[in-house]
Order: sequence, then C-alpha cells, then structure tokens
Amino acid sequence: MTAISPDAPPIQVRGLSKTYKVGFWFNRTVRALQGLDLEVGPGQIYGLLGPNGAGKSTTIKILMNLVRPSGGTALLFGQPVDRAATRRLVGFLPENPAPYEYLTGREFVTLAGQLSGMSGHELDVRVKEVLGAVEMGAAEKLQIRRYSKGMVQRVALAQALVARPKMLILDEPTSGLDPVGRRQMRDLILAERDRGTTVLFCSHIIPDVEALCDRLAVLVGGRLVREGSVRELLSAQVPTVELVVEGLKMDQVKNLGVALESSQALDGRVLLQVSDTDSQRLLSQVLAAGGRVNSLQAAKFSLEQLFMDALKDSGRTTSVGGEINT
Amino acid sequence: MSAFGAMVWNGFREARRNRVTVVVGAFAAVVLLSSTLVTEVTVATFDRVLTDFGLGMMSLILVFLTIFLSSGLLSREIERRTIFLVVSKPVSRTQFLLARLAGNMLTLAVLMTAMMLIFVSQLVLFQVELNSVQFVAAAGLWFELLVLTSAGILFSSFAGPAVSAIATTGIYFAGHLANDLFEIARWMNDGAVKSLAMALYYMLPNLERMNFRPQATYALSVDASTFFSGVGYGLGWAALFTAAAIFIFERRDFR
Repeated sequence: MTAISPDAPPIQVRGLSKTYKVGFWFNRTVRALQGLDLEVGPGQIYGLLGPNGAGKSTTIKILMNLVRPSGGTALLFGQPVDRAATRRLVGFLPENPAPYEYLTGREFVTLAGQLSGMSGHELDVRVKEVLGAVEMGAAEKLQIRRYSKGMVQRVALAQALVARPKMLILDEPTSGLDPVGRRQMRDLILAERDRGTTVLFCSHIIPDVEALCDRLAVLVGGRLVREGSVRELLSAQVPTVELVVEGLKMDQVKNLGVALESSQALDGRVLLQVSDTDSQRLLSQVLAAGGRVNSLQAAKFSLEQLFMDALKDSGRTTSVGGEINT
Repeated sequence: MSAFGAMVWNGFREARRNRVTVVVGAFAAVVLLSSTLVTEVTVATFDRVLTDFGLGMMSLILVFLTIFLSSGLLSREIERRTIFLVVSKPVSRTQFLLARLAGNMLTLAVLMTAMMLIFVSQLVLFQVELNSVQFVAAAGLWFELLVLTSAGILFSSFAGPAVSAIATTGIYFAGHLANDLFEIARWMNDGAVKSLAMALYYMLPNLERMNFRPQATYALSVDASTFFSGVGYGLGWAALFTAAAIFIFERRDFR
C-alpha cells in the first residue's frame, strides 16, 4: 500500500455518485450525487454551495467515510477515503455536531486527540490551546449537556482542530452561531488558511461563502453546475441593470417587447431587471409608453445571483431535493 | 492511552455516568443485601438459598443491564449522530465496534465484581462455606453476558434500540430453553417439525452451557473440561455475532 502523500491534492473526486435506497421495501431510489468531479488544491478555502438536497453533505460524508459511494473515486491526499490513517490529516466538523453529552468539553476534546493518536503532555497543552482559541476555556469543565448550541459548535470545532490537521472539512460551520460567533468562526477559518491548512466547507449562508472562499463549486440536484474561483464566477455573470418604473402596469411593461431578466410589482411601481445590452431599448420603450423611470442602477454581481442563475439553468423550480425515482 | 484504549475507557465512562447503570447498581446492592431476609424462610438449606438467591439476582440484574446497554450501543450512536465525530477520526469502524463491546464488558465486569464482593461478604457474615464453584458460576455468567452483548450489538448494527432489546431478550430466553427444545425435537414424530426444531436448536446459542449456578447452589463440582468447553462455546457464539455485526457495520451508511 502506498504511503500518504501530504503533497498530493488534499481532495480528488472523480465521477462520484451516490444513490440511496429508501422506502419500507427499499424500492425507491434517491440519486444524491451524479458523476461529481472536484479537485481541491492545498491551502485553499473551497466552498460547496447548493440548495437543500444538492449533494453537499453527501459529498462531505463520502470524504469522511460516513457514507459509501455508489460509483466513482474519492481520494484524500492521494489515498482512498476508507483508509483510516488518511483521516489523521483531516479535522471534521459535521452539520449540527453531536458530541458525547456526558463528557465535559475538555474530556471530549481530549478524547478526539487520543483518537488521532495524541497523548501525554503534548495532548494536554494542545487541548488547552484549542479550547482557548474557540473561547471555551472557561466552560471546559462543564458537561456538554449544559452547553448552548453555539458552545457545542465551538467545542466541536476544537475537536476538529486538536490534531493540527492539514485539512479541515466543515459542514455548515456557522449554523447556530450568533453574529459574534459567526465572525469568530470566519476569523478562525481564515487563520487556519493562513497557517497553510486547506479548508473545504459547505454553507447555505452566501455572505459567508463570499467572504471566505478562494474557489467555489455550486451543486444542484447532485450535479456540479458551476466551478471556479469566486472572481471568475462573478465576472462570468451577465451584467444587468435595475430600473424602477412608475406610471405603467405590469402587463403594459411585459408588452414592451424587451426580454426582461425579472420583474416585480412594488406598491404602484414596477422593479425591472434587464441585461445591460437591452437597457437602453427598455428605457426608451418605457418613456415612449408614458412611464417614468424612478431609478436606474447597475445590479451588483453577487453569489446570490450566481446561485439563483445556476438553479434556474439546471431547470429547478424548487430549492429542495435530490432526484427521486420510484 | 491508545485510540482503542481511549474508546474502551469512554464506553465505561458513559455507562458509569448513565443514570440507569447507577440506579441498577444501587438496586442490585439493595437486593443482594436484602437476600438475608430470604434466609428466614429456611432452616436446613440456609446456605443453598443464600447462594441460589444471590447468584440468581446477579444474573437477572446483569442480564437486564446487558440488554439495556448493548441494544443501543451502535444504534443510539447513529441516531444521535455522535458516531460522526468518532468514525471520522483515524480509527476503523471495526476498532470502534470492538472498543464499544470491550467497554460494555468492562462495565459489566466492574459491576459483577462489586456484586460478588457483596455476595461473598454475606456468605462470610453468615458463615456459609465458600467454594470455587460459586466463582466458576460468576465467570460463566460473564461469558453468558458476552454472548448477549455481542447479540445486542449485532441487532443494534442494523435496527433501533427497541427492536434490538426485544431480539436480544428473545435470544436470552431461547438460549436458556435450548435444552428443552432439543429434548422436544428428540421425541417428535413429525419429520419436518423435528428437523425445524433441531435446526432452531443449532441456530441459537445454548446459554445453559455457561450456566453453572445450579452446581454452585448444590455445591457440586464443575470439572475443567465442562467449564472450558462452555467458555469456548460462548466465545465462539460471541465471535460469530461480533463478526456478523462488523460485516454489517462496515458496510452501512451513516446519513
């Protein structure tokens, strides 16, 4: 068996697929992942973005050997994910983490260190260090059953960090945290990246993804629909212009003969979004039809728009669910 | 401490901090201490009653605790998703399962030792003669608990705690009635039913082979070959159940 290579890409995924069998007789299938290809390079913060049921958590669970893939390959540092020793290089924070409630925070993080092969004085020092880093030093002797959701999230992050991993895999790391906690979590992730740690994380919170990620993959219905650096993805968006129009009704606006990206009635006014190239034509048509333009501005490129576009392009009308076959 | 040792110790710590274990342990102490009251009903067989009642109560209470603890050993970890934070560490699922089994058996061994201390203290207090068979019976009970724990873990690897508890309880009763099943099968005339009864006998662990409590009660000797064949038989069944549990556990998804 080949040795773990810390120089190999932290994550390599090729043609990964997962089909769950569900129902009492296991006669229905849900295709959670369909031929996913991903590669995460060292030192990156790589985000997975997608609606519910897009396959983000399934991807992470396959990488952590919690779920078996139905097809394709997944490698961590060049090694198959089912090889236990590979996970020594990885710290994992699951969504809604559930540590052993009968342990104190300190006992739990110590156990995590022991499971990663640490022991003795080195472990004691490191446990104190990571509990301090997540600001749980004062509560380390309390049983976890007495912790708030935010405290559980922090202690779970501490267990992920305790063995000084080369890569962190974080599933919804800011969920359950207050604004201060979210900010601290973001700072910790950035600090880890600065230390050279690779970070893969998935989140529904688009501002977090936008603030943190170097690269991004958008998954919809178990398929990869966008992938690239955040800058590349945003610059690939079609520039649009937003107009607020008065004096015209929605049906009049729709009959102007200009293709609209979106339209929305707003208390006697109409908010229109149109591609940059069509904006001048729309403007003159609105004025010719007797409407007044209240405001006109270039729409800001955002990941939210990218996400919504990706959802629309994939033919989804809802943000929920994998592909169900009966 | 090694990763395996840490998991075993954690299993023991979990049981120790579980209210049910504490309550059952306290209840066992009270029951064993109150067994002196039972001796009031007898004059001539005082020593037998004390031994029979003491070992019987130990067996009953420990079997109850074994079923309670083992039937949720894996399924509760999966349901509560605590398993995510352990299996994602550099330990294999097989190591995790074996450590949970070992942690459970350590808990039962500690409780059994405490109960034996109370039991032996009573025998000494009432000047009942101590004999090795009483200890042999306790050792046999521990191997019986090992079989039940591994059965509980097997059921727990694919079913919820309630189903696992019912199935393990079924194994306990069927295991103690296995000899009767064999006798019934021998006297049957219908070939198909006889074959079915015999098949059932061989498909279920015969827990009576590890039950040396009657010999302890009547101060009958248990020869080494009987004891070790019973222990070997128990270990064989425990290994079979554990191997099946590992086979399932290694392949299942934790969603």
